[in-house]
Amino acid sequence: MRTLRRAWRLRSARIALAVLALVALLAVAGGALAPHDPLAQHPADMLQGPSGRHPFGTDYLGRDVLSRLLAGTGLSVAGAIEAVGSAMLLGIVPGIASVWLGRTVEWTAQRAADTLMIMPFTVFAIAVVGALGNGMHQAMLALGVLFAPLYFRVTRAAALGLKQAQYVEAAELMGASRRWILRTHVWSKVLPTVAVTTAQAVGQALLVVASLTFLGLGVQPPAPTWGGMLASDLGYLAQQPWAPLIPGVAIMITVGALNILADAIRDSSGGQEQASPAEAPLPALSPPAAVGSALAPVVAPKEVEDRVTTG
Amino acid sequence: MSNLRTPDAERRTVPLRTALNRRSFLGLSLGAGAALTLSACGGGSSSAAGGATSTLKWGWALPTSWDPLTSSAGWDVHSLSLVYAGLTKLDEKGDAVPALATAWRYNTEGTLVTFTLRKGATFSDGTSIDATAVKKSIERGRDDPKSLIASQLIGVRQVTAVDPQTVELRLAEPDFQIPALLAGKTGMVVNPKVFENDAASIATKPAGSGPYTLVSYVQNSKAVLRRNPNYWDADRIKVEHFELYPLPEPSTVVASLKSGQYNVAQIPGSQVEAARAAGLEVQVIPSMVVAVLDVHIGKEPFTDPDVALALKYAIDREELLKTAAFGHGEVTRQPFPKGYAGHDDALDKLFPYDPEKAKELLAKAGHANGLEITLATQKAEGVPELIQAQLRKVGITAKIESIPAAQATQIVYIQRSKALYVDQFAGRDAATQAFQVLFGKEGLMNPGRTTSPELEKALDEVRRTPLDAPEYPAALQKATGIAVRTMPNVFLYTVPRILARNPKVSAIPAYTVVQRFDGVTVS
Repeated sequence: MRTLRRAWRLRSARIALAVLALVALLAVAGGALAPHDPLAQHPADMLQGPSGRHPFGTDYLGRDVLSRLLAGTGLSVAGAIEAVGSAMLLGIVPGIASVWLGRTVEWTAQRAADTLMIMPFTVFAIAVVGALGNGMHQAMLALGVLFAPLYFRVTRAAALGLKQAQYVEAAELMGASRRWILRTHVWSKVLPTVAVTTAQAVGQALLVVASLTFLGLGVQPPAPTWGGMLASDLGYLAQQPWAPLIPGVAIMITVGALNILADAIRDSSGGQEQASPAEAPLPALSPPAAVGSALAPVVAPKEVEDRVTTG
Repeated sequence: MSNLRTPDAERRTVPLRTALNRRSFLGLSLGAGAALTLSACGGGSSSAAGGATSTLKWGWALPTSWDPLTSSAGWDVHSLSLVYAGLTKLDEKGDAVPALATAWRYNTEGTLVTFTLRKGATFSDGTSIDATAVKKSIERGRDDPKSLIASQLIGVRQVTAVDPQTVELRLAEPDFQIPALLAGKTGMVVNPKVFENDAASIATKPAGSGPYTLVSYVQNSKAVLRRNPNYWDADRIKVEHFELYPLPEPSTVVASLKSGQYNVAQIPGSQVEAARAAGLEVQVIPSMVVAVLDVHIGKEPFTDPDVALALKYAIDREELLKTAAFGHGEVTRQPFPKGYAGHDDALDKLFPYDPEKAKELLAKAGHANGLEITLATQKAEGVPELIQAQLRKVGITAKIESIPAAQATQIVYIQRSKALYVDQFAGRDAATQAFQVLFGKEGLMNPGRTTSPELEKALDEVRRTPLDAPEYPAALQKATGIAVRTMPNVFLYTVPRILARNPKVSAIPAYTVVQRFDGVTVS
């Protein structure tokens, strides 16, 4: 909580949160706020430029682009959140368990995480959708499974250091239960790391969701999604060369805001982590480095280095 | 037979805009930066074309199989015609003319047709094409258990090699359509030496005698072909190297043509304007292709004829044509385009767009409170979305289901597991063959596999009528009328073949049925 409060003091975090609040509002109420029915076709008005009636123009079936963008927010964001939510569940619990539940669990969980980390996102999602049917939930669960190692490693790295912290050992000697230690000492220290990871991961997931819907996986037309709109706009570049910018900018702003927020939380938590007595005996797995390496499959190598050095 | 006589049948070549116009257009629409990029692309393409001499790169489609016997899509006839030749071929108007056979003769009843083979013709491997080879090839098409053309050849009772240059086909019933039928996939002569040893290999290694031979083939990616000097009409094949690619993406096809990845490609109606602006030549060639909904009347809810009929009234074809095809083509209610002998203008007045009538029919079938169906398609965007919205207006809630393109023919035509499918009929070489595919007992595009005795009778009459007889068009139109009225297929609009090409490629001949490249040059 202290980390979040500190982050709030940063201007970039406030802007990012404001943008995300707007996106969240649109995700919940976008359909209601849309000026037109996002599915209503008016073929006579197809591929019109921006006008008073249609501020962002109309698409290839004469549907209002603004309305589709607003209504598409929900499906796009819900997909990303579903993926990240399942990743948290699948990652955090084994992450903490691997530290406290003995070597067999530790070894098994680590190997499982290693295996999942080598899977390419899009191909894996396509394979799962092929096997389980073309639906949003199938695609998002597949993504969640692939995002899980990220949480697993981040949580594990943070917990590993804490387990050997003197106050945790002291609490153990005093006879504190494992549950009490996890709740009081571990969870609050792991939380900022999880928050950073989540902000990053939602951004990444949003991009993957956009890519999958771009490829026609997950959500079926005519339901609007940002990625789907982008894909169909590309077929009409001759008529509307600017059209892909609209969903593109929506994706960019949302992902950008999530990344800025992640940076802000990390910057605010960094001091605390370093000040904490939990300087682990395994320096390679100290929390900031682990964040970097765990993000490796998702972010570019250069960014990883940045993260390691600045984290 | 098929006389496409309308002025539409003439090749419509679009005059090339002057370079100045083009450049100023680009400058205006895309801004100076974009124009610079594009003109840079143009420079690249000219050097690329100059380097590879005489290669035609066609962005079109790869066949489902290189064996005409097991090819499961009508569309394959275009790619297969590059590597196979038949006894006959269709000319630009769609009439059967000599190919591997120099002449043919019917007896007066129309039950015996004798083909005289071209002397000295050989398969691409050098084996001679004699009467025995032709006999074996036809018999394989008719008798092989895997053959998907068997139903077309069912009326061929006996094939006899009279002498090395003469083949006789004895027919079960009079049928004057054989020369036209053999111009397409059904009549492609496959090398018996190959299929007697290793028939399975033909699916990836064609064994024919067409204008080209296959050099290499990567499934779903590319086929590289080389001119076949043994082709009977090799003098008219000017391009030495030929590359065939799958259908290009609509969003990148114009850029790919400019960059030289293709120099001829099929483009959708939405890209015509862009292709012209980019300095490409665009040819709109009238074809036999018709957009159609395949209706499976053996599956709910179409087991009720009123529901199937309601579809015909519920669909606004004008809107589909204008929106999805950008107005390229014509609205139709029958399988043959205007100008074809089997086309009857009167039929286009049937099934006007009438949502009220559709609702009445649905109510009569007990679906007054709505009906849920699944609309299968390869690409969910566009036409299926429009149809979905149109069906909603009459109370039908259609769920769109996309099928992977690679499995579509298998799922729809062979397993017949979809009740309603957004499809295109590629047209066929012979009129009766078109009927067989669309409405026949074994017809690929007749998923319900039901036929009408009345239609069979009318078709029998068509077969008995020589193609040059004055009563032929009337007989054919009668059959078309019965089919359109009694069969569930919903014909939507004609789909012209829109080819964009680099100006270095000479004009593409406007064949209505099978695209051929006779006389085409690449400078």
